[in-house]
Amino acid sequence: MSIETPLLELLQFPFMQRALIGGLLTGALGGVLGSFAVLRQLSFFSDALGHSALLGITLGILLGLNPTLVLIPFAVVFALGVNHLVQRSQLPADALLNIVYSSSLALAVVALSFVRSYRGSIHQLLFGDILGVSWLDLGLIASLLVVAVGYLALTRRDQILLTLDEPLALSRGVAVPVHRLLFIVLLAVVVAISIKAVGVLLISAFVVIPACASRLVSRHFNAYVVLASVLGGVCAVLGLLVSGAFDLPSGPCVVIVQLVGFLGALALVPLRTVLGRAPGVRRSATR
Amino acid sequence: MVKMVLDVSGLTVRRDAVIAVDNVSFSLESETDTALVGPNGAGKSTLVQALLGILPPSAGSIRVLGHAMGPQGQLPRSVREQVAYVPQSFAVRNRCPLTVGDFVGLGWDPPGLRLPWTGGERRRSAVAHALRQTHATNLTDRLISDLSGGQTKRVLLAFCLVRPRRLLVLDEAQAGLDSQSAEQFYDLLFELRRSEGWTILQISHDLDMVRRTSDRVLCLNRSLRCSGPPDHALSATQLEEVYGRGFVPYHHRHAP
Repeated sequence: MSIETPLLELLQFPFMQRALIGGLLTGALGGVLGSFAVLRQLSFFSDALGHSALLGITLGILLGLNPTLVLIPFAVVFALGVNHLVQRSQLPADALLNIVYSSSLALAVVALSFVRSYRGSIHQLLFGDILGVSWLDLGLIASLLVVAVGYLALTRRDQILLTLDEPLALSRGVAVPVHRLLFIVLLAVVVAISIKAVGVLLISAFVVIPACASRLVSRHFNAYVVLASVLGGVCAVLGLLVSGAFDLPSGPCVVIVQLVGFLGALALVPLRTVLGRAPGVRRSATR
Repeated sequence: MVKMVLDVSGLTVRRDAVIAVDNVSFSLESETDTALVGPNGAGKSTLVQALLGILPPSAGSIRVLGHAMGPQGQLPRSVREQVAYVPQSFAVRNRCPLTVGDFVGLGWDPPGLRLPWTGGERRRSAVAHALRQTHATNLTDRLISDLSGGQTKRVLLAFCLVRPRRLLVLDEAQAGLDSQSAEQFYDLLFELRRSEGWTILQISHDLDMVRRTSDRVLCLNRSLRCSGPPDHALSATQLEEVYGRGFVPYHHRHAP
């Protein structure tokens, strides 16, 4: 698309309509799960999974299968494996994740060098191709959004308590190991499905940035989750429109819009402090 | 009403393959206040976590209100609801956008699947009552990350109070409090203990406070070294047995 292409004309194309719906759903999904993932210090997990996913995609290409469908079991196995390693190993979680994702990335790049013919490009794998989102992809993302929102809404109080303090949640009888595992698997599947649209390098931004922006300005947990999902969806749509209008790569455009949103939220914090109640963090020195 | 609230028999708990609590047996009678004392690394927090079902025991049995705890800390929901826990600190409270009112409401909700809009009015009323009892009504709309140490402890008591409980377990409740805040916290705790009929088990390093307030003391150093009324359990001979030769009792204070 050239910069001269009128935006309204662009919106007539089915691929652009699918892209906008896909962006809205993926952004909202990233925001909902990200709001819990950020508080549970799982931001690096989504980043590591995103990078490791390249290996799953490469396996799909080598086996001649739809990469998205290969990526889902790959992501689930990755999540279960990492969770097991983190629970059993005495090494720090971020170090373990680093080992897993850098090894996966290295294996994927070597394996990709054996791929003779691939319709897509490495560039698309790295930065996503939201314009190539199919109706099947949209169906998967929409189903996942329903599952994720349903699960988190029905177990909302357990999820908050678990996010707040694990021992306290355990003492109240919350099934902490089950919820922790289910959440990680859900996050892994969301990352796997969103990678086609967003790319392996930028997927963690969808999970982390809207949630962090929302955290800066939210005082209530419900508002925090809702705002994170709204920000995620709106930023994705705006980013895609910018991408379409100026013929720029879609994934990076969305992330840049998310960054603008985050900086806006950051600017609001001192303003809210001056106006009265700060939503942020009082440091221990003031206790 | 069950007179024996907690009954522990031959309890052994491992942490990373190391025996942290070894063959401990004791019981707590209803509406008593028992202090668990011992040096750092004696296994006090490990014991408490096993009693709450947070850590699985390697051997022995735990009965809460007459019900045997399962190997993974399982208890019937009706029994679990009657046990409350005040942790030493919140690991992530600074990052969670949660108001005091919402947090105390989490103590009211039983765990498991629930529609998000259920129990609204009853929960609100229970939360308001609990915050009134702990003199924390003015904190209802504050973020839990904005609370001082003393306010946090009062809110934790409200979290426990929001439903009727029988057993309250406190892990170093005085940690992070200055002496005045600690006094105020204990005054409130004992006032509530009388009005609510709580049975209390608390880890404490403050032997003066234990001597003044507890009915019974359990001295732990991996295994149970002594137990009995404070005058007996906190005698110089017993303290040397638990803490080691040359131990001098002092006024324990955590940095505020």
